[in-house]
Amino acid sequence: MNYVIQTSDLSKTVKGMSIVSRVNLNVRKGEIYGLLGPNGAGKTTIMKMLTGLILPTSGAIMLFGKNFSETSKEGLKRVGSIIEYPIFFEHMTAMENLQIHCEYLGYYDKRAIHQALDLVQLEGIEDKKVKDFSLGMKQRLGIARAAITKPELIVLDEPTNGLDPIGIKNMRDLIRTLNQEYGITFVLSSHILGEIEQVADRIGVIQRGQLVDEVTLSDIRKQRTDYIELMTSNVQKAAFLLEHELRISNIKIVQDQRIRVYDKDVSTSQITKLLIAHEIEIEEIQKYNSTLEDYFYHQIQGKE
Amino acid sequence: MLKLIELEWKKLDRKKVIGEAITYWIILMFLPVFFLKVVFADMPMIRFGESYAAALELMISIQMGFILFGASLINHVFIEEYKNKTMALSFGYPLSRKRLVMAKVLFIVLAVFFGTLVSFVLGGVATYALNQVMDVISGTPTAADLANYAIRMTLHSIVVALASLIPLFWFGIWKRAVIPTVICAVFLMQFPNFLGLLRITLHPDFLYAIFSVLGVASVILSVKFVNKLGDL
Repeated sequence: MNYVIQTSDLSKTVKGMSIVSRVNLNVRKGEIYGLLGPNGAGKTTIMKMLTGLILPTSGAIMLFGKNFSETSKEGLKRVGSIIEYPIFFEHMTAMENLQIHCEYLGYYDKRAIHQALDLVQLEGIEDKKVKDFSLGMKQRLGIARAAITKPELIVLDEPTNGLDPIGIKNMRDLIRTLNQEYGITFVLSSHILGEIEQVADRIGVIQRGQLVDEVTLSDIRKQRTDYIELMTSNVQKAAFLLEHELRISNIKIVQDQRIRVYDKDVSTSQITKLLIAHEIEIEEIQKYNSTLEDYFYHQIQGKE
Repeated sequence: MLKLIELEWKKLDRKKVIGEAITYWIILMFLPVFFLKVVFADMPMIRFGESYAAALELMISIQMGFILFGASLINHVFIEEYKNKTMALSFGYPLSRKRLVMAKVLFIVLAVFFGTLVSFVLGGVATYALNQVMDVISGTPTAADLANYAIRMTLHSIVVALASLIPLFWFGIWKRAVIPTVICAVFLMQFPNFLGLLRITLHPDFLYAIFSVLGVASVILSVKFVNKLGDL
């Protein structure tokens, strides 16, 4: 497997408090990897360590298969990033900011600046000072800066923060375009499940500084357990009938009055007909399927 | 390293910094004559006006004012970058923090050194020119005076450049505090006068040597501890 990022026991302690603890992250080449976790879980701290902004207390980072540390930061030439929020030299123009960035990376292709601005639909405002930009424009300029040198990896911390719905959609499309057309690997963080679900190929769930799980979204979808839940006052008899009349073996009684049927071949109408025929009162019947939200909730709750 | 130093210059709000430098130059240009004509007018025991050689000592003391310019640059290059988080951008580039700090330090050293050197030249020319009409210094400058001036201005520009870095480690990188950095710089430039008030006799050259050593020590500590103190 070709990994862009691998961490081993990555940890960060600040003033005796563990912020990130023994994280073993694996980001594959070409994928969109979502770091998912509640606010304060340690996502930003992990991203800061991955991009050299802060130094780990212990553990190691492999970037493009090579050791990445304060004394060995060559890997950063192949990385673009926006951590927390896009930061610029506000007194400088968009063009000057991008030029400075390119010069630091030893990248001298003037056309690339225009291409990057064009990519994020900021062409024509290159001579405007960044202090006059809206947050959305700064976010897009940040993406332009992150992508300008055609990096192999882009790390974005909460990339849709502060954007309006159209801005969010544009950002999502941009990430997909860069990933699919240019093969750029992305690491994104978010505490919004829907956001991650729409773009990520794989997620790492972070809770209290620990990586709880790493799983592909397609695996979560496969694991999705669709079920029918019914509520009745006569749970025992209903369960007996479902098992013997409809030959359902995958039944679970949850709480006192609720039954969950996990058998995918049985429909709600079959169950309803059967129970009515045996004069069992149905107070409620509904089909459910577990979402990423359920998965996430389960992961987080499991660690509480 | 030269490229990194150049980038430090490009990142600055250059109009503001050049404006500051010009302000210092203008003020320091006229200060020697102002002191000789106004402040020391009723102080016959102060004999800076006796000759150009004596006036040089006053000039050296006045040019210590450029330490303040150094404090201002520490503010722009380090403290503001930490506060605006633009330092994070630099940390995200493939260069070590130690190298980055060295580039910033060298930028400040060069800016203060050349700024002070120019100030010495402007101050010397202005003092000479004004002396032609105001007659505050006796005699005329000799070739030896001029040679001595050139040597001393170079040496003291180095001293000022190094001394201006004394606040760097503690107030610039550790505390990241603007006002204490400036107060420290004011204290340093006034220190020779404090010694006089306290009746402590210390050879000025010895004091300047101590300042230089302290400046270098501050740089060494800054580079050494930037990994521990440099997190954002």
